[in-house]
Amino acid sequence: MKKVLLSTLLVGSLFLAACGNGSGGGNANETEDGKVQITFLNGFTGGDGGYMKKITDGFNESQDEYLVEEVQDKDHYTKFKTGDYDLVVIHANNLETYKQDGMIQDINPLMEQAGLSIGDFHEAAENLVTFDDGTYGIPLDIHPLTAFYNKQLSPEAPENYEDLVALTEELQSQDPNLYAAGVPNAGLVEYYIMTAAIQNNIELLDGNHLNFAQEELADALMVYHDMVWKDNISPAGLGLDGEFQAFMKQVEEGNTGVQTAVALTGPWYYQAVSETYGEDLGITSMPQIGDEPGVYGGSHTIALPSSVTDEKEMEAISAFVEYMYQPENLANWAESGQAPLHTATLDLIAEDPEKYPLANENAKQFDTVTGAPQVYQFGEQMRYMIENVFSMLVTEENLTKEDLMAELQIATDNAQQIADTAPEQ
Amino acid sequence: MKISKIWSTVMYLPFFICFVLFWAIPVFYGIYISLHEWSLFGGNGGFVGLENYITVLSGDNMFSVSFYRGLENTLVFVGFSVIPLVLVSLGLALLVNNIPKKLKVFFRTTFFISYAVSVTAVSAIFKWLFTGNGGYINNVLNTLNIAPLNWLNEQPYAWITILIATVWWTIGYNMILFINALDEVDYNLYEAAGLDGANWWKKFRYVTFPSIKGVFIFVLMTTIIASFNLYGQTLLITAGGPQQSTQSLIMVIQQVVFSQNNLGIGTTMAVIMGVIMMVITGAQYWYAYRKD
Repeated sequence: MKKVLLSTLLVGSLFLAACGNGSGGGNANETEDGKVQITFLNGFTGGDGGYMKKITDGFNESQDEYLVEEVQDKDHYTKFKTGDYDLVVIHANNLETYKQDGMIQDINPLMEQAGLSIGDFHEAAENLVTFDDGTYGIPLDIHPLTAFYNKQLSPEAPENYEDLVALTEELQSQDPNLYAAGVPNAGLVEYYIMTAAIQNNIELLDGNHLNFAQEELADALMVYHDMVWKDNISPAGLGLDGEFQAFMKQVEEGNTGVQTAVALTGPWYYQAVSETYGEDLGITSMPQIGDEPGVYGGSHTIALPSSVTDEKEMEAISAFVEYMYQPENLANWAESGQAPLHTATLDLIAEDPEKYPLANENAKQFDTVTGAPQVYQFGEQMRYMIENVFSMLVTEENLTKEDLMAELQIATDNAQQIADTAPEQ
Repeated sequence: MKISKIWSTVMYLPFFICFVLFWAIPVFYGIYISLHEWSLFGGNGGFVGLENYITVLSGDNMFSVSFYRGLENTLVFVGFSVIPLVLVSLGLALLVNNIPKKLKVFFRTTFFISYAVSVTAVSAIFKWLFTGNGGYINNVLNTLNIAPLNWLNEQPYAWITILIATVWWTIGYNMILFINALDEVDYNLYEAAGLDGANWWKKFRYVTFPSIKGVFIFVLMTTIIASFNLYGQTLLITAGGPQQSTQSLIMVIQQVVFSQNNLGIGTTMAVIMGVIMMVITGAQYWYAYRKD
């Protein structure tokens, strides 16, 4: 029987040994030809992914000491939580969460090593990445809500709500399936909610959580309800990413589809809209639908995982970051349509507006762009607003402000409960 | 032939090791985690007893509200999906079983092919078919002078779309099981029933069904379990909407664990879900065999 037990233990330990990845924690990985290898994780699986790959490939070809293995994954946050990576792209609105959870470290020393400082970036960058106890991300870009328009349907760029009303009246007189712009019930609605708050100067941050239960916010959000149900700017019933799909649609006889002249959407759709519309594509800033100009923007930053401590790895990462932030290299990122925050790169792309039309247009919004408040689990604090409240706004014709206020209170209670789970109280 | 005790134990070992590693340890470790405050990043924050269970079941906090909403949505889907998933596949199996042998192979393969398609591809196809703005189904309705429907963003159409996609996707598997069971039915029984003057319904009721009852119950139970595990279709076709009305319990658990990083609460929800599934399938099993 002892032999049986012994063989059980042997098989078990062999199995467990096979499960291990064999790498020692904290030590640099080296390739067979002696290069220090680092892994760079990001979520660039759309049209912009190829442009980041160009930068990585360029770095790998430029020298023979280091090798960057780029991992692009749609669900890269889950990969980051469950794996071991050396450099990771994190949205600015997630930095507070990953900082509090101890997943990322102050990146200032690395920036210094790479010859960068926060002064090398547009002033909009500082608020996004700087915290009381350090800098937790190297600013990469800001991707604000962007207005694409079809010049065949809207020769002029709409600048405000009145322009959208006038445009929809004109289009409806041509064809009842033509509208000015689409308001979706899901997808980019975080951008819509935050832009309404920014354009009406509403402060959502209340201590450690977001406070949505404000009369002013209810009024601001009701504008989207009016766009669908009162002023007929948007068709009703647009679903997930409906603002983009309706913009790409062509109204045809016998088809039930509706088409819009303007898409208030993300700049990452640039490749698709430019292929469809070519010369007829117009790009402009977010129209003013509130009291003042302004727009919400997401932002990519490059963060350093807490697990990275090895000096050789740090040197490899710093060499890669230094290469990436050379204007001629980062211009690749601008070519994808993303607007980089690095000032020297902005200057470079400004010299060639035809090659970088979207990046240049969105760079104009930097002065009025506002990012997310720095709260723990921003996305989770927003979840009820995104999945319930906004959907209700655009799908329920008879929604009243009182109904909306009740929902905003639930959203605030949820945000408070999420904030209370933060490690730093 | 006499097999030595040591040799029989060695033969049994691979199963035992896999059972311990992939079943016993995850289950008991899951229960252990559910009794602790446990963050995905911070790890074990200490023993909390049944506090996580009270939080999830109390109904007065967001975790509990999302748990009950996910459970209700899942039960709704289980309730209206199991009957068509089982009965339609049984009907299809009866039809395929009664056609000429050469055609039988063709149709059996054709209906089973859909089961081999990934949920991602199935969802993409049905999302394209049922999209509200100029989708294929709405265009067909339009040609028939029927007003287009907002399939994906309005209830009950969102559930109907998910049900149609699920039936199309999984019906082949249940059908194959029923066809195999029907092949085993003694043909002499039908002949005898025919001589006694039984019509098709009586043949089905008194010959076919009792002969395939074991497989029927197996199909029923596995379908209930599969419907409880609803995830891919609602995630990819409706994203849990409109207004979280198709958000299944698995989606809620996934959010709590991977978005809110709350492994303790998420695991507690998973344990409760497991218990509910065991109770429902156990009750169903007991009911089906109570006369035996």
